[in-house]
Amino acid sequence: MKKLYVLILTLTVLIFLIPDTAHTIPAFARKFGSNCNMCHTSFTKLNDFGQRYRDNGYQIPGQQGLEKNVFDIAPPVSIRTSTGSTIYHTGDRTTFGANIYGFDFLSAGVLHKDVSFLLVYTPRVDEPAADFSGPGPYWRAGSNPSQLGSLESVNLVFSNLVKDKVNVRIGRFEPAYQAFSSKRSYYIFEPYEVYVFNTPNNSFVFNDNQLGLEITGHHRCGFKYGLGVVNGNGANPDNNTYKDYYVNLFQTFGKGDGQSAGQRIGALGYFGYQPTYTSWSFISPTGETNGYNNKTFYRFGGNLSLNWKTFNLQAFFMAGADDKALNSLDTTRSYKYTGGFAQLDCAALFNNRLIASVLYDWVTPPSYDDDRTINAYSALVRYYLGDWTAVNVALHAEFTHKRTGKTDPLKENLFSLLVDFDF
Amino acid sequence: MNKFIFILFVLILFLPSFAIAENPSPTPITTVNVHLLGPEKIGNLMPVPVPVNNPQTSLKILLGKQLYFDTRLSASDKVSCASCHNPVMGWSDEGPTSVGHEGKRGGRRAPPVSNAAYSPLQFWDGRAPTLEEQAKGPIENPVEMANTHTAMVRTVNDVPGYVEEFKRVFGTTPITVDQVAEAIASFERTVVTTDSPFDRFVRGDRNALTAEEKKGLEIFNGKGHCTACHWGGYLSDGRFHNLGVAPTDPQKPDEGRYVITNSLADKGAFKTPTIRDAALRAPYMHNGSEKTLEDVVNFYNKGGGNDPNLDPLIVPLGLSKEEVKALVAFLKGAMVSTNPEVADVKPIPSNALPK
Repeated sequence: MKKLYVLILTLTVLIFLIPDTAHTIPAFARKFGSNCNMCHTSFTKLNDFGQRYRDNGYQIPGQQGLEKNVFDIAPPVSIRTSTGSTIYHTGDRTTFGANIYGFDFLSAGVLHKDVSFLLVYTPRVDEPAADFSGPGPYWRAGSNPSQLGSLESVNLVFSNLVKDKVNVRIGRFEPAYQAFSSKRSYYIFEPYEVYVFNTPNNSFVFNDNQLGLEITGHHRCGFKYGLGVVNGNGANPDNNTYKDYYVNLFQTFGKGDGQSAGQRIGALGYFGYQPTYTSWSFISPTGETNGYNNKTFYRFGGNLSLNWKTFNLQAFFMAGADDKALNSLDTTRSYKYTGGFAQLDCAALFNNRLIASVLYDWVTPPSYDDDRTINAYSALVRYYLGDWTAVNVALHAEFTHKRTGKTDPLKENLFSLLVDFDF
Repeated sequence: MNKFIFILFVLILFLPSFAIAENPSPTPITTVNVHLLGPEKIGNLMPVPVPVNNPQTSLKILLGKQLYFDTRLSASDKVSCASCHNPVMGWSDEGPTSVGHEGKRGGRRAPPVSNAAYSPLQFWDGRAPTLEEQAKGPIENPVEMANTHTAMVRTVNDVPGYVEEFKRVFGTTPITVDQVAEAIASFERTVVTTDSPFDRFVRGDRNALTAEEKKGLEIFNGKGHCTACHWGGYLSDGRFHNLGVAPTDPQKPDEGRYVITNSLADKGAFKTPTIRDAALRAPYMHNGSEKTLEDVVNFYNKGGGNDPNLDPLIVPLGLSKEEVKALVAFLKGAMVSTNPEVADVKPIPSNALPK
């Protein structure tokens, strides 16, 4: 029991201290000579224009073929780094950290009319990590880096195969079912808990980018869809021969797309397979394994984005269920849980230089797993620096109070003060 | 696995480069019309592009200026180019749309002649590829000068002073409609405004803009989305967009660029005008439906008008009152040029024109 407690504590701290990386790509701004707020309400959050730009394969909407591609411009490479200090408190322990909390290389651009790409690489960052132990035995050396190295996204986008209505993204990408992008959330430390909640014996994590193919499109009436076929195993090599499927639907009301104007509702459904047994024998030179006895799981939910002046309310609800064969906690019944979040953002001051946000997250697992019940309360303030050519440095203060477990919950507080730099 | 995907991706990324390198005659980016590829960073105007078949000469420019202000080009002897493209009204007119032959009112506003040399296509619908072609159009338009090219040329050929000047400029007689157009176009290529506070600011004078105008520039270049279309030195993409501008006559909406291309995507789309000197030529939009720059900014701020073919670039901006005010201050104060050679252009009185 003590071991389990230590494990849960360690995982929780890791989730806190290894922040989610995010996409903001100043190379686009440099290409056009505009500042970040052309596409972002304030970086990292996309506005309606930015969302349309992304959906259109990183081409200005309606202008595809009329702008420079990657061969006509300086290499479209961007760097984002979040550096600063954190104070983490739980029980009677308080720790202080001063780290690099995120470091991304981003590259994206148009290769040819309606053919574009995105690459996001997060290098491993060992030092200065809060408890990096330095060289040592293999089981200890660098066991807790500031950031794990990964190729977060690498994909090709074929846009407008049918004008506006069919766009295809292939590779490793952020799937459309993440109605509110955690990659472009203002929050650096607090993830959307329901996105990162993992169920027993199931390697699918809602927040992960996925390998596969996605088709998206929209109609002028405000309807937008996303369909995908993915391996369902995140950034990891495939672990079975089955594919997972998902659908995401949006309908917008009023002018705007619901990102920064207009009102939007959405629904999502995900249906997947996970093996209950994996032999770990590779079936390909790139690491894919062949899991056996695959069982199903699903996620479904709804979401809402409301805009009023410079306020944006995002609400997300999701329910999930895994086949009982995947439920290592109780094999007599399927594992069912619900969760969601509500986030209120406000852009204030001239040119949205001040962002304030509050976020409430919750996850309600089944009663026999209520040690993993989560309630998290977060708030942040960001102030942006820069001039008419760029608004790309943010002073970031974030606080989260998180309770894990239903009875006698583990209480954690994290306060951070960072410089979020995007170039 | 990660490494493999990365290498594969790099190969995919650079293979087209090799293909381009092997192509013996690639089109260098520098020779491509700048308006074909954009947006570009906003900045100063480049030197005026001059077609090789109509080089600028001082005599030709003077001749063009005389023709520009000469009402004898029209059927009624009362309408000149300057009637609708008036220097003191920002090289446009008082609007909302232009008035020509015998007080007839056209359906569109006179586009400004200033800096028109940078526009890749002329007229609101882009039907003329050059200034020379544009200059010929209004002469025959029944609502504008209501003349014919034949009659206009006959008139000009009957003016000995013009015959002498044309002979000096072009070396041939009789005068042709092409020569008239070339001379007018040459003059119009001198109507270039390059000395606005914004231009001086971009050239390095950090004090050229007021604090309010600097704030407006920040909005112009980002949150206002203005530079999605108003980019480069010309501050226009020279392309065509449907903004959802309310038609003057809802029963007979102006179909804009669609009439030229027959492409449904161009229905109701009009050319992006430059915002250089925009403060001098209210009202705005192709039909003068927005009276002031404040109205224009508010129009965009609410996400344009209502049209099934609304350009996908148009989205609500979420500008606050303070941001609207700053943006308008920028447009009014920072974008008005004071080039003396353009600002001081005065109409040539009829008694000073060739006899």
